[in-house]
Amino acid sequence: MKSVVLEQLSKTYFDPYRGSQVTAVRDLSLTIDEGDFVAVVGPSGCGKTTVLNMIAGFVPKTSGRILLSGTEVKGPGPDRGVVFQSFALFPWKTVRQNVAFGPKMRGVGKAERNRIADEYLAMAGLSHAADRYPSELSGGMQQRVGVVRALANNPDVLLMDEPFASVDAQTRMTLQEELTRIWEERRPTVVFITHDVAEAVFLANKVVVLAQGRLLAEVEVPLERPRSWDRLVQDETFKELSNRVLQLVRSA
Amino acid sequence: MTALQAFWGYYVRWSAKWPGAAALLSFLPLILLWAFIVWLEIFPRVFLPGPLEVLGKAWELLYKGILLDYLGDSVVRLSVGAAAGMALAIPLGILIGLNKRAYEVSWPVLLFFQAIGDIAWLPILLIWFGFGLTTMTFVIVYTVLFPVVLNTVLGIRSVKPELVRAAQSLGASRPRILFEVILPGALPNIITGLRNGLGYGWRALIAAEIIVGTSGIGFLMFDARRAGSVEEIVVGMIVLGLLWYIVDSWILAPVERATGQRWGLVTS
Ligand SMILES: Nc1ncnc2c1ncn2[C@@H]1O[C@H](COP(=O)(O)OP(=O)(O)OP(=O)(O)O)[C@@H](O)[C@H]1O
Ligand SMILES: [Mg+2]
Repeated sequence: MKSVVLEQLSKTYFDPYRGSQVTAVRDLSLTIDEGDFVAVVGPSGCGKTTVLNMIAGFVPKTSGRILLSGTEVKGPGPDRGVVFQSFALFPWKTVRQNVAFGPKMRGVGKAERNRIADEYLAMAGLSHAADRYPSELSGGMQQRVGVVRALANNPDVLLMDEPFASVDAQTRMTLQEELTRIWEERRPTVVFITHDVAEAVFLANKVVVLAQGRLLAEVEVPLERPRSWDRLVQDETFKELSNRVLQLVRSA
Repeated sequence: MTALQAFWGYYVRWSAKWPGAAALLSFLPLILLWAFIVWLEIFPRVFLPGPLEVLGKAWELLYKGILLDYLGDSVVRLSVGAAAGMALAIPLGILIGLNKRAYEVSWPVLLFFQAIGDIAWLPILLIWFGFGLTTMTFVIVYTVLFPVVLNTVLGIRSVKPELVRAAQSLGASRPRILFEVILPGALPNIITGLRNGLGYGWRALIAAEIIVGTSGIGFLMFDARRAGSVEEIVVGMIVLGLLWYIVDSWILAPVERATGQRWGLVTS
């Protein structure tokens, strides 16, 4: 597992058509410990995706540093698994081939990587869909494949950008519970972006609130685990924390 | 009612089993109309022969071996030209599609040359290479080249950046990304390019054969004009359409169905 440290991280986009600059992230410093689960919330356009893309190595930073267990990030790599909001499954690969893609790139033999894929698909309740193509799946199923594909590659850090935004409320709750369970088992470092304050508090050890590219607040979530919605809906601490984060987001 | 339903069911099953034959059925009204017009004798028979006469001519040409020989010549020319065109076009399209600078520089040039359609080159080619195979091959390669390059470039550039990112963060190297993500993503477009290219190439070939040929379906038709045999010309025309139908529906369409449509990239 790896820690993620952001030091005075900034990102300015240049718009060549308007000739103007947009600063999406300014002077952001944040420490995420090894095996920690951090949720990032904030109003639309506050720079959440930009931060995640910089950690993933997809987008170059303007200034500052991003350290993965002390080593500076140079580009994308398999130590950081990414779950995309829009799934980003390979349409020409079956569900099993999608999940086996990471192991395949590591040079794992066919029988072994299919075994790995089947194991993860079983965990996500997708065994019956293994031979189907992504376009033949419902949105919620595709989303689960996206999560499982990142997990099957055993990343040290899991970067998730609003991964449950496009599934229905029930499925979302199940996925959230599954995710906490998997995290407790494996303890990867997780950076989880969401709009949904309750989701952030439910999942994370720490909720980070961003506003206009700056760090507004860090809220610790001392709720015990394992967490389940059945219990937490009535939990006073959960309600109080959710309210506090909500106020912060609204003030942003 | 039940008899009609039974017949309908029989027809549906039959046409599913023999799609080629079912397609021929859709030409039946056209052939009947043709026969009807001939029967009205609006035009003299020498100008507009009927279906049976044309069929008889086709049989005669087939029997003499001319039809198959010429057809073979045309098909070989098209295949060789198309293969060469693709061998050039696909790598070129990949290079241009992958490189933003190359794309910006070459796109206007590609569009420019695509606009100078195949036969517009014939006058100058005749001066350069004379009446012969070189001229014909050039025309086909040229005609196939541009649609394939343009569509390959388009396909590569339309691969979602997110898929490339997903592959990168799953540990794929650049060559693996090319083969596992970019090329499959561009494949539906590449196939469209091939389909267009072959279609244009086939037409260009006939035009070239008419002007410079010594054999081939285009030559057959033009030669028939000299002999005043309208039947032979019509045979040539029908062969052109028929052959294209076979190539398109038996080779290109199934490939398209097995890739883009299967993956949900294009709607069926
Ligand atoms: N590629 C880009 N080019 C120029 N500006 C960009 C680019 N990507 C993002 N921005 C700008 O940077 C700011 C932050 O964008 P970002 O996508 O990080 O926000 P976000 O917090 O993820 O929003 P949302 O919750 O809506 O997803 C916005 O003002 C956006 O317009
Ligand atoms: Mg975003």
